[in-house]
Amino acid sequence: MSREQEIKQGLFDNTLTGNRKAVEELTNEGVALGMTPMDMLFGALIPSLQEVGRRFEVGDYFVPEMLVAAKAMQGAMTILRPLLVASGAKPIATVLMFTVKGDVHDIGKNLCNIMLEGAGFTVIDLGVNCSTDKMMAAIKQHNPPIVGMSAFLTTTMPVFKVNIEALTKEGLRDKIRVMVGGAPVTQEYANRMGADGYALDANSTVRLAKQFAAEMGYDVGDGQVKKELSDAVQAVEEMMNKAEVHET
Amino acid sequence: MERMTGKQRFLAALNGEPVDRPPAASIVSVINYELMDIVDSHFPAANTEPVPMAQLAAGAHEVMGFDSVMPIFSISQEATALGCEVEWSDTTMMPTPLTHPWEDRQAEIKLPDGFPDSFLNDKYVRCALEAIRELKKHFGDEVMILGKVMGPWTLSYHMYNVQEFLYDTIMDPDRVRLSLETLKVVPITFARAQLAAGADAILWADHATGDLVRNTTYRDFLLPLHQELVPQVPAPVILHCCGPTLDRIQYFRQAGFSAFHFESQVPPDKAIAETQDKIKLAGNINNPVTLFSRGPAEVRFEAQRAIDAGVHIIAPECAVPLQTTVENLKEIVATCEDNRKN
Repeated sequence: MSREQEIKQGLFDNTLTGNRKAVEELTNEGVALGMTPMDMLFGALIPSLQEVGRRFEVGDYFVPEMLVAAKAMQGAMTILRPLLVASGAKPIATVLMFTVKGDVHDIGKNLCNIMLEGAGFTVIDLGVNCSTDKMMAAIKQHNPPIVGMSAFLTTTMPVFKVNIEALTKEGLRDKIRVMVGGAPVTQEYANRMGADGYALDANSTVRLAKQFAAEMGYDVGDGQVKKELSDAVQAVEEMMNKAEVHET
Repeated sequence: MERMTGKQRFLAALNGEPVDRPPAASIVSVINYELMDIVDSHFPAANTEPVPMAQLAAGAHEVMGFDSVMPIFSISQEATALGCEVEWSDTTMMPTPLTHPWEDRQAEIKLPDGFPDSFLNDKYVRCALEAIRELKKHFGDEVMILGKVMGPWTLSYHMYNVQEFLYDTIMDPDRVRLSLETLKVVPITFARAQLAAGADAILWADHATGDLVRNTTYRDFLLPLHQELVPQVPAPVILHCCGPTLDRIQYFRQAGFSAFHFESQVPPDKAIAETQDKIKLAGNINNPVTLFSRGPAEVRFEAQRAIDAGVHIIAPECAVPLQTTVENLKEIVATCEDNRKN
């Protein structure tokens, strides 16, 4: 195995276990050896984060493990970001994400944001406790084809319907695909609220967003994602910076 | 069997004694907009003033027929008294903590100066205690009056912020333990005050849920604290933990709680088997789909399923959505009534 291959394996393994220091050291070494940022991202870091998501899906990982992995990846991205050169390609699509009014839980949403950005979407994150008015203003400003709403409380889940009805009232419902999620949310509940889709976790959020984008005529091929990597790096950094702000 | 009062029925179920019918209970919160209109007590006053709070809580029994009443609808009394900013003025939402005094890693993890007096004199803590007094005055021993406290794990979410707290369970477990140790006196203080005000039992919410952490996290961080703290509450204590919890009932049953209030993500028959008869169960009617979105027939089906499985106290799984209908909630009570023993 060449040193480059060892570095990629090390980046994969240490992101998986949340060893930020090792990830940063390996990233610096890879840069010094002339490895491209794309190679390290696509060949190790993003696959590792996807593996983190897979382990979460099957119950091997829980939220703390996802958080330490995300912070380790942030360490690599801090180094790689200045080296990434935008290719000029268009993003897949824009996704508007937020936690509904009355609810300040956002760990899951933040992890979804990381995965969406890594997959090539532009994410507009409205944060937590987001009112219907704020959602509508952001939709008018950014014109996203996909809106993702999160609720962690059974008392705030009904806000999905309020928001979806507001989209209908504004004549926007047909132009936007709505996906919902959060620990107590189910597919059946999503259907009853009038959502277009339900995502169980971060990995399935990406799959759903890609499905929506493809259905709406956006190109979800791998060739489009490169430009978004620089945005993804920034988004991960922003997500981790915001990680201190939220609560139960 | 002779007809029992709500309190007798609830306590008998907690003690594993015979009951005339399964108790139907308000455990976390059963209040809703329709009930607010019926009893003419609305947010925000029902969260901030003792008489409207007691009036709305009483509706759980007087309007819907539940065997217990729970005046502390939200999870925010302790948080506000410990320094979190909480939005109390909203007319449509449960009050929620918005800021976290310990989220800055430079912040010293300690209780506010003057604790416990400052805590017990906080406006919202006093409101809850006064509402319990009102309910005791009103119901005497006819109806089970429940109090509610947040345990050190959930209080850490409020004080420390949930994301950083969970991160530190791996990266800085000593800081997590310091937070838990610092906060452990809070639920004891609040529980004792509620019991002195007239509460008959305490609901203890500690959300070390399978949605967030593995079961061994509960075992390693929280179980020893629960074993230390629960015996210090001189009344039955009911644990509430949301989400998928089947894999941790094996630890909950060792913690000293009288009962565990569980959610619909855990099948009732499996939950019963997991208790090994060492802890009673309360729950687990689904909120978002069954109680909120479906009708009485589906509510009855779930309530009967819980009864048939041997769940000791029948109740919604958590705080119900405020849009839930009174008709659906009354169906829980009606199902329990139809299981009355001759």
